[in-house]
Amino acid sequence: MQQQEVIAKLQEVFDGAFLQRVEVSPELSARDVEEWDSLTHVSLIIAVEQAFGIRFRVGEVEGTKNVGDLADLIVKRLSKG
Amino acid sequence: MLQLSTIRRRGIEKGLLARPEKARRVAMIGGANLHPLVDFIEHFATVLGEMHCEFWVGDYDNYHPEIIAEESPLYDFRPDTVLLLPPERRCVYNGPLASSRAEQEEAGRSVASELLALCSTIHARSGAEIVIGNFRLSPYFDPGPMRSANLISDYAFCKFVNLEIGARLPAYAHLCDIEFLSNRRGNLSGVDDRRWFESKQPFAAGLLVDVAREYAHILTHLGSAPKKVLVLDLDNTIWGGVIGDDGLDGIELGTTSPRGEAYRDFQLCLLELSKRGVLLAVCSKNDFEIAVEPFEKHPEMVLRLKDIVCFKANWEPKSDNIRQIAQELNLGLDSMVFLDDNRAEIEIVNQFVPEVATIWAGDDPSEFAAKLKDSRFFELRSVTVEDVQRVQQYKQESERQRLLSASTDMAAYRDSLEMVGIIRRFDRLDAPRIAQLISKSNQFNLTTRRRTESEVLGILDDEQVSAFTMRLSDRFGDHGLIAVVVGNARGEDLVIDTWLMSCRVLKRQVEEEVLNEIVRLARDRGCTRVTGYYIPTAKNGMVRDLYPKMGFAHLREECGTQVYQLDVGPYQMIQTKINMKKETYATAGSHRQVAGSF
Repeated sequence: MQQQEVIAKLQEVFDGAFLQRVEVSPELSARDVEEWDSLTHVSLIIAVEQAFGIRFRVGEVEGTKNVGDLADLIVKRLSKG
Repeated sequence: MLQLSTIRRRGIEKGLLARPEKARRVAMIGGANLHPLVDFIEHFATVLGEMHCEFWVGDYDNYHPEIIAEESPLYDFRPDTVLLLPPERRCVYNGPLASSRAEQEEAGRSVASELLALCSTIHARSGAEIVIGNFRLSPYFDPGPMRSANLISDYAFCKFVNLEIGARLPAYAHLCDIEFLSNRRGNLSGVDDRRWFESKQPFAAGLLVDVAREYAHILTHLGSAPKKVLVLDLDNTIWGGVIGDDGLDGIELGTTSPRGEAYRDFQLCLLELSKRGVLLAVCSKNDFEIAVEPFEKHPEMVLRLKDIVCFKANWEPKSDNIRQIAQELNLGLDSMVFLDDNRAEIEIVNQFVPEVATIWAGDDPSEFAAKLKDSRFFELRSVTVEDVQRVQQYKQESERQRLLSASTDMAAYRDSLEMVGIIRRFDRLDAPRIAQLISKSNQFNLTTRRRTESEVLGILDDEQVSAFTMRLSDRFGDHGLIAVVVGNARGEDLVIDTWLMSCRVLKRQVEEEVLNEIVRLARDRGCTRVTGYYIPTAKNGMVRDLYPKMGFAHLREECGTQVYQLDVGPYQMIQTKINMKKETYATAGSHRQVAGSF
């Protein structure tokens, strides 16, 4: 799966997680979305893991700065398990 | 889960969905990140409990100051209910490894005491009800099987603390039994340490949902009355087959077939419920006389008519019958649960009496009990009920102890047993049990004459035969049918053809009552003597001297068989500690008038 496909699928996950419509792009980060606080973040990451059937390593998600980084991480986990 | 919750909240925000009318102010505090746990609880309370909850959520691991501080936002919020999730990482044994059991228990009790003291403070300062979570058990092998040998392991320590919390829970506090939820799911799958390190999530996603659902369940059921009545279908629900078509001997029930055993087991589960105070009622499409027959006559039925508070068997719609049952019992429809194997009947009840909860039993009787047990309709909710039971248990235990210590005095012991005996003439319904005793009893059996069930039935019509059984019960339970006697009238003699007893009632004076009865029968028939035989076998040595001990004279020996005789005239009835019930035919007059039922 390429970054673009991942981002398309992430759009579905974000639609399910936020009350407002959030346009997913590689540059998007938590600062851009009012609802996206540290608490929503927890639920969002659970939803991402379930949607892609992957499991991030401890601390990995913290190292991502925006959705593009997150998508790259998802691609990495999809290929390496 | 998350998506569902989001869609619903979006709907409410746009005014598409109404907020439920029931509302509660709920505070949640604890030693973990309480999001998204709280969001899930809110979701389940709305969707499953139709309750709107306004939430205030404490900070991560700040519950202690939130509870005890002079000024606290917890109390400013004025909660109706406070949900408390204590941090499991603090429920560990910190004492020395080589400590005594007493020290370990003391450590466990003090963890429980501390939590209960917090509950007490919350309640005193806010009047709120409290739901407290307990601790799940470690899923890891370390420290090995020794984990269950003392309280040093986290596993045993948590188990002990949980018991302490549960046993000492005050009336205003309720348990969210996380230990159980995690066991049910599988402890290993509830663990996600990475989420703990990253964001202080207490559980893996699956267990998180279970725990949220349970908090919501307790929250939405606080103060609501539990169900009181279970209305049962009969055919293919408590026995296999259709009684109207298959008849008494055609229905599947009892240990002779796997399906029959499953139905019997389900009945045992129903009987347990009934012992807990749940009222059992019957609602069946059947002719009444046919429907009650198994309850009266089938030997493998666990449920009897005395266990059924209201019996409706007719051809009217079940919804109408259920309304009638509610009226007759003077209970609300909302206190009733209806269980049927037929989906159509369930549907009718759902439509026409929607207040009544329903359980579709399914089509595999081995799953009926599990379905009922997981329905959650009849849970013991208040601690006071448990208190009462506990009191009774203690009472029974102390009574047994008292009896044991007094048992050196046999007469006092027998007196204290409060034995009740019933003597009855042989009858058709007892025939299987009589035949079973006749074929199995070896020790207390004077002649060891075997008879089949049909031979037993043959005795019933024989004018020359006086045959009776005796049942015995005491304060600890019913021993059932425990003695069988067959006597043959031959002129002046009443010859004891068979006398056998179950060994579990030895030394209870059953022999004396049986002999009283034999003499009474002899006198009724105008016999002047009772003749008894002892035919020795490898196993019946225990009754070798029974007749001489009971006052019989030794008459002669015939090829190893000892013959004894008793003169009926001077015989004095032996007084015993068994209270013989009046409905026995002996005291009611002639044995031909017997028709007592019990």
